[in-house]
Amino acid sequence: MNMPLDEDGLSDVIRRREYDEAAEDEAVLLQRELAVGDRTTGPAEVAGEAAAASLIARGRRQWPLPKLADPTAPLLVVRDLRTWFKLETGWVKAVDGVSFRLNDGEALGLAGESGCGKTTTALSLIGLLPSNARVKSGSIELFGIDLVPKSENALRRYRWREISIVFQGAMNALNPVRRIGEQIAEPIEIRLGQPKDRALKRAGELLELVGIPAKRAQAYPHELSGGMRQRAMIAMALACDPAIVIGDEPTTALDVMVQAQILQLLERLRRELGLSLVLITHDLSVIAETCDRTLIMYAGKVAEEGPVARIFTAPRHPYTQKLLAAFPNIHADRRSLDTIPGSPPDLRKPPPGCRFHPRCPFVMDVCREVEPPEALFPDGVRVACHLHPPGRDGAVAVGPDEVAARGGRIEIAQPSAAEAPVAGHPAVPSPPPAPPASGQASS
Amino acid sequence: MTDLVRLEGLEVHFPIRSGLIDILARRPRAYIRAVDGIDLAIRQGEVLALVGESGSGKTTTGRVIVKLTRQTGGTVAFDGQDVTKLWGVKALREYRRRVQLIFQDPYETLNPKQTIHDFVAAPLEVHGIAKGIADKEERVLAALDAAGLRPASDFAFRYPHELSGGQRQRVVIAGALVMNPELVVADEPVSMLDVSIRTELLRLMLDLRAERNLTYLFITHDLSLAWVIADRVAVMYLGKIMEIGPADQVIRSPHHPYTKALVSVSPTPEPPTGEMKRTILAGETPDAARIPPGCRFHPRCPVAFDRCRVEQPPLFDVGNEQSAACWLVEGGGALPELPSQVVATPTIGVE
Repeated sequence: MNMPLDEDGLSDVIRRREYDEAAEDEAVLLQRELAVGDRTTGPAEVAGEAAAASLIARGRRQWPLPKLADPTAPLLVVRDLRTWFKLETGWVKAVDGVSFRLNDGEALGLAGESGCGKTTTALSLIGLLPSNARVKSGSIELFGIDLVPKSENALRRYRWREISIVFQGAMNALNPVRRIGEQIAEPIEIRLGQPKDRALKRAGELLELVGIPAKRAQAYPHELSGGMRQRAMIAMALACDPAIVIGDEPTTALDVMVQAQILQLLERLRRELGLSLVLITHDLSVIAETCDRTLIMYAGKVAEEGPVARIFTAPRHPYTQKLLAAFPNIHADRRSLDTIPGSPPDLRKPPPGCRFHPRCPFVMDVCREVEPPEALFPDGVRVACHLHPPGRDGAVAVGPDEVAARGGRIEIAQPSAAEAPVAGHPAVPSPPPAPPASGQASS
Repeated sequence: MTDLVRLEGLEVHFPIRSGLIDILARRPRAYIRAVDGIDLAIRQGEVLALVGESGSGKTTTGRVIVKLTRQTGGTVAFDGQDVTKLWGVKALREYRRRVQLIFQDPYETLNPKQTIHDFVAAPLEVHGIAKGIADKEERVLAALDAAGLRPASDFAFRYPHELSGGQRQRVVIAGALVMNPELVVADEPVSMLDVSIRTELLRLMLDLRAERNLTYLFITHDLSLAWVIADRVAVMYLGKIMEIGPADQVIRSPHHPYTKALVSVSPTPEPPTGEMKRTILAGETPDAARIPPGCRFHPRCPVAFDRCRVEQPPLFDVGNEQSAACWLVEGGGALPELPSQVVATPTIGVE
């Protein structure tokens, strides 16, 4: 197949992302690794310096960075993204001013109900939007390169090689008449220009990596079970050694036991390959288990964002509180389930003011008229709610640029430097090793 | 409480089509043993949750009860009457008026070209229940109202595409309610819906039970949903019941390693802490055409021993109406702690 040459061809001089340039970075990765090792339950598969060193070695890219990349830029910054859909009846504002940042090696969970714009956000990142969708404004910066103005051809340089995606229904995403191995080898051949035999060999290695015997590369999708198909999808997403893997509801259609296996696999791959993950799901338990930070979306906007340990134990936004209370939790009280009355708004005509106000139990007059500003709290949580305005509890107003600039490098929270509990919110019983504090504010 | 439904030794074996070579070689015909001999009673007015992974036979069991699938052995008794041999349109109609089914996918259950009203009215017409048009309209609107679609007259003439997933599933519930059934078999009724909407529907189902004295068989793969809605829980694995008992007990003190593992991996919206111990079983439920000998769970069981490989355990009573099919609890023993990680069983990749 003849592919148009990318804007920077494959023959470029190899430029490595200089992880080891600064000694402090190594220390950071090492600490991070240890923290992650402790976070997994059961015997940590890896511990100690050797494992940390191997992580640093693997954390290096195998392929050159894009020519335009700024090696010091954050991995991914989404700034004030607005993706709208054009319908006959008008514009549907599916994503309407979303900003966030993803650091190296971090896992970010995008959560929200159906229709809150989480999948649209993800598809915007990888440039796979349906034809009636437009990115109306905002930027998506990968290594400092803005992907929004790129042409379809130029995007090919990034899609799958830098950002890949694992879709929800593995049966629909895999081609039923081609062998698994061939399908995984295809992006290696086309995107990386490897000869077929090498690509097939690599496909076999990838299958082994995700826990499928390499000889199963000969199987067709229908010969694999649901969990194995999802594993194959993950292998395919890893084919070109991308920096970021997006998981769009990667476990939703699976049994609980298989779901636990897949989440464990993602966690392991993240640790071993130094992957950065964006997980999209309506299932908060998936995020609680896998992610460092979460971003709760409602009706195309960010409701709350911050470290998982903070958000899931002391949510500030009423929507987050409701979402958590509505989750059937086998380890909590049985009849304490809450519901969220009403349904998400029509995004052609979103309600004025705060978009959650028609369903909010704490609605005030101001909520009906004024859109809440985003406020950043000292514990690294960003909230858009009039109950938590900037200025109270040490919160400061943040705009898209501040969000992008926040937490320039992965930082490890010192146990002694733990923030004082915010007034009105109980101190979080933080698990012994603070979760990889990549999401913490740098302030 | 009396038993509304009683299954005794229920078996559903689907024959596998054999090829010419199999026939010439006179190989015995192979069967998929979807349901492999279960005894189960559903009490009047209770919510019994049937929990299991894909391929455990839970859906097949539900389909046998509503007589959509024919059993190959055992009996189903409804209200004291053996319904396995019901024959003829009239008898089946009479039975199905009392037993209704709610399917999983509200997108596929509803006909996109049919209005909500027509969907709900269809069973009334088939069964000839309504006396005249006015009576029919009244019943349809009452059912929609009971399912929480209010104002009912506003919803009646809409088409499915105008409704959200949660509203569609309410329409499906209304379609079941309009018959005033005694037993509702709900097959994963909320699995297709967002977590935030699930709670509302579960609450609706519980309210309806209180109002109409319904009995539910709630089929699900999600133990946490079972725990929210059910009075009793039965855990199935490969066509057999592994454990059954009151919901609180089965979940708080499981007596079968499989249940224990399921509880440990049950999703929770809390960041993992050191205290929580998870037992992730390796592999997946094996093929029901090749059920392992002895205890069918033994290849994945972290605490299996020699006896499990040869002898199939019956359900042992462990007290408080709870029973489990595990040799370890024979004579009231307690389960040992499970290892947190179960790896490298031969089931992976072998199909």
